[in-house]
Amino acid sequence: MRKNYSIAYILLIPTFIIIISFIYYPAFYTFKLSFHRMAPFGNRVIYVGLKNYIRLFQDPEYILSIKITFWFLLFTVSLGMLLSFLFALLLNEKVPGTRFYRTLIFAPYAISPAIAGTLWAFLLNPVVGHLNYILLKLFGFQVEWLTTRPYAFFSVAFATVWKNLAFGIIFYLAGLQSVPDDLIEAAMIDGANTFRRIVSIILPYLSPITFYLIIMNIISSMFASFGTIDVMTAGGPAGSTSILMYKLFLDAFTYSRTGAAAAQTVILFVFMVIVTIVYFTYGQRSVHYQ
Amino acid sequence: MFNKKLLFVLVLSFLLVFTGISFAKVKIQFWHAMGGWRIELLKNMAQDFMKQYPDIEVEVQYTGSYRDTLNKFKAAVQAGNPPHIVQIYDIGTQQMIDSGLMVPVGDLIAKDPTIDSGVFMDQVTNYYRVGGKLYSMPFNSSNPILYYNKTMFKEAGLDPNRPPRTFEDILAMGKKLLKKDNKGNIIQTAITWPMHTWFFEQFMANQNAPLVNNGNGRLKRATKAIFNSPAGLKIFKFWKQLTDEGLMLNTKKEDWDEANQYFLSKKVAMLITSTSDVTFIEEQAKKQGFELGTFFLPRPKDSETGGVVIGGATLWMSKDHPKKEIDAAWTFMKWMASEKPQITWHTKTGYFPVRKDAVLTLMSNGYYQTHPNHLTALLQLLMSKQTFATNGAVIGPFPKVRDIIESAIEKMLAGDMSCEDALAWAEKQSTKAIQEYNELYK
Repeated sequence: MRKNYSIAYILLIPTFIIIISFIYYPAFYTFKLSFHRMAPFGNRVIYVGLKNYIRLFQDPEYILSIKITFWFLLFTVSLGMLLSFLFALLLNEKVPGTRFYRTLIFAPYAISPAIAGTLWAFLLNPVVGHLNYILLKLFGFQVEWLTTRPYAFFSVAFATVWKNLAFGIIFYLAGLQSVPDDLIEAAMIDGANTFRRIVSIILPYLSPITFYLIIMNIISSMFASFGTIDVMTAGGPAGSTSILMYKLFLDAFTYSRTGAAAAQTVILFVFMVIVTIVYFTYGQRSVHYQ
Repeated sequence: MFNKKLLFVLVLSFLLVFTGISFAKVKIQFWHAMGGWRIELLKNMAQDFMKQYPDIEVEVQYTGSYRDTLNKFKAAVQAGNPPHIVQIYDIGTQQMIDSGLMVPVGDLIAKDPTIDSGVFMDQVTNYYRVGGKLYSMPFNSSNPILYYNKTMFKEAGLDPNRPPRTFEDILAMGKKLLKKDNKGNIIQTAITWPMHTWFFEQFMANQNAPLVNNGNGRLKRATKAIFNSPAGLKIFKFWKQLTDEGLMLNTKKEDWDEANQYFLSKKVAMLITSTSDVTFIEEQAKKQGFELGTFFLPRPKDSETGGVVIGGATLWMSKDHPKKEIDAAWTFMKWMASEKPQITWHTKTGYFPVRKDAVLTLMSNGYYQTHPNHLTALLQLLMSKQTFATNGAVIGPFPKVRDIIESAIEKMLAGDMSCEDALAWAEKQSTKAIQEYNELYK
């Protein structure tokens, strides 16, 4: 038996080498850097203790960014979940051409965030954009979607929702197809209308999926929407689309403030730890039948 | 017999190996940030160089925007594998100097009898000379000029041969250029320029006002931002008034293409942007069927005369390479800044030549008679008073300072802050950023 164990360990070595060099070591290094300040070319490193963190929380821009991130997550996750549930319900109907619609709706998920951003930037362009053209022809007004508030925020948030939608739909669709037909039939015989069936049977049945999707949507809105934002608004106007992840990118790669960026990474890490704990604590026991 | 054969083979192989080594090309890497069609142009220029110097092989690598190139260079330095020559934008100068990893080009010029530093235009070298030392090789230099649509000027009843010279002119002419439909939508308006601090910097220099203390950071390391001045306020107020009255279209942060698009689609009659787009805009204007004019950067009516700061980038030589490679890189660098390549570069892009002899050749060819728009920036540069203000600020955290000023302008335009408050806020934040940077080099 002992021999088997040692073989297992040996087989795990390559995995560990990769994990350690690409995940644990950089993570550890980031923690270390967050207590230091580093010159742009790395030729000087000064220990500063907690100064990076203190400065961050004294920075009104950072506080604003926390608020914006909160609203951004609230908007993208709630709207994204609602829409993906509704789309899944529709796609679950046995209408001719469902497969075709499904393919079309899943397409956004397959493209990269930066390309999604470019597409939306084109659509919302004030001069050659399609949306403004339609608005002008139909209603006689135009909006500068990406350069004025609050439109820039909603444009970016909506693009993120659109991008994440397919992921939610796939999971909901799978969930819907596993709802037992006899349960629905029984409810119909008892006289429950569509709305009642959704609220009392389908939603509770799908609650583990919903919970999982909320977590996944938080993660993707938080981290993957970076590309979309960079292309669409670059964090503007006046910082109104600058979520924490974008701020981190700016400090790390534009302003060479390595220490400050490391501190922000640690803060995001703590946030993710909390989300993960919540998921593992409540994720498993959130199935409720009514 | 056998011995002779063996000897022959041995000698031959030795010869092959050694001639192989002595003819082996010296390979150097050149990283640049010139996107789009300029990638091809630079490749071709390097090809020309290699034809003249067959023993040097230049690997030309496009490394993304100026910002990305600087970042990739930083990463390469930390990985111990920097390219020999890298093109770094104007505002990276202080960081590059502080890295201590570069060979000051002034030293190379001093050692090399084949090159005379006097051949470069002072207006260009003044920017890259910090503390009396020239750090990098001038290559692509630009400044902002006013592009205007003569056809739209005529339609609005303005004299197409009298472009605006002052902020006040732009406001007055703008009102004539503004057109709305019956629902109040703006169909056409006066002016645009990218939402970019570069224009604030240029408007400041045009009033001979510095951005930071200690001779704009040229006498000593700058410790404080000082742009909250009457000159700075005039710019902020101008920007705000233009926007509020619907005379200006603002772009996304640092979006140069969007501003070009507004102008080329005839949504605005005037555009302020870099001269580096002259060739492109001339071609596009022809396609769009309007007559193009170019003129100097405007300034407030009753302000001190200043000038424009050069923008663009220079070539930097990194230290940690064998002498043979440094020599080859130096040969290439010298060639890129020599007369012919500079003429090619100028005529194909609009960046002005950094050398006097290139200008002379073009003058005697009559080039500027047929390309007056290529002359505008050059003339504007030559007519700029040379002071610390017009030589440009040297600031370590310049990218951050630019972001702060852009944020302040956006906040002011959105109505979050008054012009005065936005300017004061930007100055305070910039000082903070400068002090934070300076802590690293105490």
